Amino acid sequence: MIDNQIIATVVVHLFTAIIQLAFWSKTITQRILSIAGCIIGFIFSIILFTNVFNGSILTMNAANWEAPFGIVFVADLLSSTFVLLTSIAALAVSIFSAVGIGKARMHYGYFPMFHFLIMGLNGAFLTGDIFNLYVWFEVIIIASFVLLTLGGRKAQLEGAVKYMALNILASTFFLTGIGIIYGITGTLNMADLSLKIPLVQDQNIVNLTAIFFMIGFGIKSAVFPLYFWLPSSYHTPPSAVAAIFGGLLTKAGLYALFRVFTLIFIPNEFIKTVLVGLAIMTILTGVFGAIIRNNMRHLFSYLIVCHIGFIVGGLGLYTKVAFMGAIFYLIHDIMVKTNLFLISGLIRKLRGTMNMSKLGGLYAEYPKISLLIAVVLFSLVGIPPLSGFWPKIYLFEASFAGKSYLFLASLIIASFITLYVIAKLWAEVFWKEASTDEIVADSFQPLSRFKKTLLILPIGILACTSLFIGLYAEFIIQVANRISNEMLDPSPYIKAVLGK
Amino acid sequence: MELLLVFLIGVLYAAGVYLILRRSMVRLLLGIILLGNGTNILIFLLGNIVKGKPPIIGANLKVFQDIYADPVPQALILTAIVISFGLTSFAIVLLKRVYALINTDDLDDLNTPEEEEDL
Amino acid sequence: MLFTVLSGLITSGLFIPFGKYFRTKWGAVIAILPILLFCYLLQFIPVISTGITLYESYEWVPSLHINFDLRLDGLSLLFSLLITGIGSLIFIYASSYLKGHSYLDRFYGYLCLFMASMLGIVLSDNIILLFVFWELTSISSFFLIGFNNDHADSRKSAITALSVTGLGGFFLLAGLILMGSIAGTYSIGQLIESASIIKNHELYPIVLGLVFIGAFTKSAQFPFHFWLPDAMKAPTPVSAYLHSATMVKAGIFLLARFTPILGGTSAWSYTLMIVGGFTMIYAALHSLFRTDLKAVLAYSTISALGILTFLIGIGTQEALIAAITFTVVHALYKATLFLTTGIIDHETETRDLSKLSGLRKVLFPVFIAGTLAALSSAGMPLLFGFISKDLIYEATLHSEQHLALYLTIAAVLTNVCLVAAGFMAGIKPFLGNLPQQYEKVHLPDQSMWIPPLILALLGLAFGLFPAVAGYFIVSPAVTSMSAETVNAHLQVWHGFNTVLLLSLVTLALGSILFLYNKPDSRKLTLLVPLNKVSPQNITKKLFKKFVNFSAWYTNIMHNGFLRSYLLKIIIFAEALLAYELFIGGSIYIDYTQLSPISIYEAVNVLILIAAVGLTVTTSSRLTAVVGTSAIGYAICLMFVYYSAPDLAMTQFTIDTLTVVLFVFVLFNLPSFINQANNKIIIRDSIVAITFGTLLSIIAIKVLQVPTDITISEFYGQFAYTLAKGKNVVNVILVDFRGLDTMFEIVVLSIAALGVYSLIRLKLKSSEKD
Repeated sequence: MIDNQIIATVVVHLFTAIIQLAFWSKTITQRILSIAGCIIGFIFSIILFTNVFNGSILTMNAANWEAPFGIVFVADLLSSTFVLLTSIAALAVSIFSAVGIGKARMHYGYFPMFHFLIMGLNGAFLTGDIFNLYVWFEVIIIASFVLLTLGGRKAQLEGAVKYMALNILASTFFLTGIGIIYGITGTLNMADLSLKIPLVQDQNIVNLTAIFFMIGFGIKSAVFPLYFWLPSSYHTPPSAVAAIFGGLLTKAGLYALFRVFTLIFIPNEFIKTVLVGLAIMTILTGVFGAIIRNNMRHLFSYLIVCHIGFIVGGLGLYTKVAFMGAIFYLIHDIMVKTNLFLISGLIRKLRGTMNMSKLGGLYAEYPKISLLIAVVLFSLVGIPPLSGFWPKIYLFEASFAGKSYLFLASLIIASFITLYVIAKLWAEVFWKEASTDEIVADSFQPLSRFKKTLLILPIGILACTSLFIGLYAEFIIQVANRISNEMLDPSPYIKAVLGK
Repeated sequence: MELLLVFLIGVLYAAGVYLILRRSMVRLLLGIILLGNGTNILIFLLGNIVKGKPPIIGANLKVFQDIYADPVPQALILTAIVISFGLTSFAIVLLKRVYALINTDDLDDLNTPEEEEDL
Repeated sequence: MLFTVLSGLITSGLFIPFGKYFRTKWGAVIAILPILLFCYLLQFIPVISTGITLYESYEWVPSLHINFDLRLDGLSLLFSLLITGIGSLIFIYASSYLKGHSYLDRFYGYLCLFMASMLGIVLSDNIILLFVFWELTSISSFFLIGFNNDHADSRKSAITALSVTGLGGFFLLAGLILMGSIAGTYSIGQLIESASIIKNHELYPIVLGLVFIGAFTKSAQFPFHFWLPDAMKAPTPVSAYLHSATMVKAGIFLLARFTPILGGTSAWSYTLMIVGGFTMIYAALHSLFRTDLKAVLAYSTISALGILTFLIGIGTQEALIAAITFTVVHALYKATLFLTTGIIDHETETRDLSKLSGLRKVLFPVFIAGTLAALSSAGMPLLFGFISKDLIYEATLHSEQHLALYLTIAAVLTNVCLVAAGFMAGIKPFLGNLPQQYEKVHLPDQSMWIPPLILALLGLAFGLFPAVAGYFIVSPAVTSMSAETVNAHLQVWHGFNTVLLLSLVTLALGSILFLYNKPDSRKLTLLVPLNKVSPQNITKKLFKKFVNFSAWYTNIMHNGFLRSYLLKIIIFAEALLAYELFIGGSIYIDYTQLSPISIYEAVNVLILIAAVGLTVTTSSRLTAVVGTSAIGYAICLMFVYYSAPDLAMTQFTIDTLTVVLFVFVLFNLPSFINQANNKIIIRDSIVAITFGTLLSIIAIKVLQVPTDITISEFYGQFAYTLAKGKNVVNVILVDFRGLDTMFEIVVLSIAALGVYSLIRLKLKSSEKD
């Protein structure tokens, strides 16, 4: 069905950003505009999601050129779920930014950049054209560069150089892949590619192309051994920025992996094995990193890496059950990881540090905030019946069915280490008595009640979403089920785009 | 001729990779530029090259009468060139700022021990 | 039944907003909840004892077949009565024990959460639902052990306990899922029906192993037992409730629950007999060396859990009856002993056995409770413990012929030690002379000494009228573990037989051991050489190795050097591409399709390659930049030659701009210093040349594929007729694929804004966010 509303979520953020440019130095206006823009975007994404969930795949032909000749936007359930999750995360981060980001950064375009980034993400999730996807990825990259460097602190810039180099390399691989794929099929439309790729006589070339995409998107998803940019940079920007990065940037890479490897390249045994192998190594790499880090954001960065392995493994097993586990995990992960970085920002406000050995006493001083955070931490660990628990059932089941016991073992190890580091974090940050030799720089207490609310509300929104995901798992499972069906059988997608 | 271009692509990719593996930030950037050039030529080559037949419809014609160069790769490369210019120029300025901060362009020096207060 | 489970969860949630009202003496009010639940459950005894099982079901996650399926049979009723009954007393006891504690509300919150989860475990008819509550008990235990969270010890013990039970939990989950996928159901009732399918499945040993790890970690079986003595850092009511009477029995419950599903095979029996048997002897011996009252109790608890595992392993009907009876017996006497210990600790502020004596003079009712419990634990006739000891010996004697002797010896050995341990904990502090410093000790509040007394008296009551317990509690519980209805005839007098003899021998030997085993802290040093090989130390060392390895690995992989990251990525890409090319077979080149080389082209390419060479090798920044721009201009010429005038123009402009920017920036940079040695240069060259070669080969391969030109033909066809443009490239850019261009411009604008901000914004160190 053709429906031009589907790029509303892109347009909203584009306009929000442009209007904000007009209010370059009016930080209060920018804040209001940002929250308003995110709310509108959120409403549109809900509409989009319900339309797709209750109806069928929606498409839109840009400039009215029919696919495969023009650029087409496609909202299937996978896309619209991502858009919805992005909108929720964006709303939370936008509210948090209103207090969590300093005025200096706002004076230099923090909010427009933020909205450009969200726009880029939404665009990437919705486009049905492989080259257009590249353009969206570049929008994401450049916006994230700017957000990462905004403020110009030493650590930020050092992280940004590595981030930049590795991400541009990823784009190079991606673009090379696009060049080859055009060379062998003469088309860029993903649905059209899905039809034409199997017709290519030399499937060896197809596999070679798939490797370019795997590496390009692998870097963006921070998969072993391509993950280096993530722990090099995620601890450097302000927490609000880290939150949107932590929750969504790698997920855009994962989205692309899922899209490309279920629609365009149906992986052969070799690629599947490679994906599962990478997933295992990714999980272990994250585990090893997480266990030795003492700074909360370093720890969370490695946990991101670790849990990306869960999702990639689900893709690599390539069965319906595995897909359901991976998709459910993705949905859970976006909410929780965004929230973790917001939490680290809040804790920094409370204590002026994110070093676990220097922190302490939060439970005694802020019991209710602590319990709110506990909900998020337990969701992350997957304490049943919270959100991280359900996908594990599918992933365990899938690895038994696929006889990939190594993957199963790494899942168990990762679950355990996550539990351990979070228990340690809780003991250190919340239980331990506040250290007395350090001067506690509490920049939270002096804030007005309104500002305090603005800091805690987004954490609450995301925590409630996580709770919803956990307690109403049935609904998420239905979504995951539908998405997995879409991924295993792309013909409805192709029919929606090409009409055949 | 295609073989010559194939060779050229190899040279550009190799040179690009070699340069990004160096310690100097300037070389890193040059390497990225070379890789970009290599990719562009690859896209160009794979979309059937034709000599002297630009994809421009003749003055009095409405459609092509003759064979013509595939316009799609050209359009893609054009977009890619401009985008990578955006990225490169930002990276160049970033390089300047980093240089101003740590007074070297040695990439190995980008490891300030984690001083959290500086975040 | 649903309400039974949910009420505790809801109450614990309500403590978050309303907790502050329960910090005072009103805290005891909350005990109404377990008391009501206990009374509610009591009324099911007559129904359940007829062998009926009650079911309830509420939909939750039907897609996964995970629903609130609850079942109330003999086994669940027995456990839920223990949970709520002992729970009621603990709630009351704690209100005095923690009187004035500023976080009493949190304590009750956790306790309610725990009680609800525990009820959830025993009432679940769905193994995944069971697991949900299983994990919740671990979490509530974590919070309760770490309740005194300003002590580093408490925090550490809490983490240890959570880690061990949590790790076991993940294994259990894997086992449950595997079991579920073999049988195609998560419902316990249906699993029992498909028991033979599971037992004959090739993965049965794996299921068994995974489930065992879960049960053993939770129930503190060797070698996972070490978290339990550590967990004694929790306030004593918690130790009594969670770490003795209920939570640690969850593992036992699980084994009992799964007996009809997984049990009866030799793998099941032997594993349980060996693990349980070893644990019970190991822990019983250990308990003799302790001087801390709670440590004695902790080890004797582990030993008791070992006995239970051991009995379930024997698996005969007699053994199961013994196991169920002993569960009740142990819960009663061990909870009593913990509570009396708590009183002693609370009043004298020590738990050191070598210092305590004569307390009967000041804590008489406590002395009565302690003595009754100790005697029950020792198996003194007329107490409930006597019955269970008889049953245990009966079970071992009547087990398989060739095993009976060994099993009986193990049981006697364990019980002898446990007799002594029980006397140490329940009687020793009250005997002898009252030291001066304890003369002022006085009896605590009634709410503290009545609960243990009630429990101890219950032990006496059941001991006098065992048939009541046998008919109403034990028989239904054993029935739900077996295929047929079981009637357990518990009686005080069995006549003169081997069993009675063994009981008396045990009692006598145990008493002698108690008299000669003086509590002395120096004894503990005897165990020091053993500590090296204790599971706790081995685990600690392994974990430390793991952490060291993690640090080593992380520092190698993520070493801070960008070039090393790039190198790894490139090599990884090369490996994959090379492999794929290798299996792709030979490459052929169809020369007929290639266009000829003109001098002009050749020269241009030569210039290009020369410029590349210059860029790569020069040591001057400026030369390198000039080289790069030369490359750009040469490519520009190539574009002109190959029918791409627009590209040529763009390339020319962009190249010029880049050079200008570069020169502008490089203005004040020093020249390259040669920072690499030859080895690295050679390595990098090889990597680079390999990459270039791979790309060339791939390009050649792609050139052989005939190009599909439908789309570019469409553009040629309609560029003018529909889009009104003659330059097709331009038409594509602004119309057919106009969106790309639009966002390409957005990228440029963002970059421009970013450059502006990057140059202008320099935060001072005071500006944090």
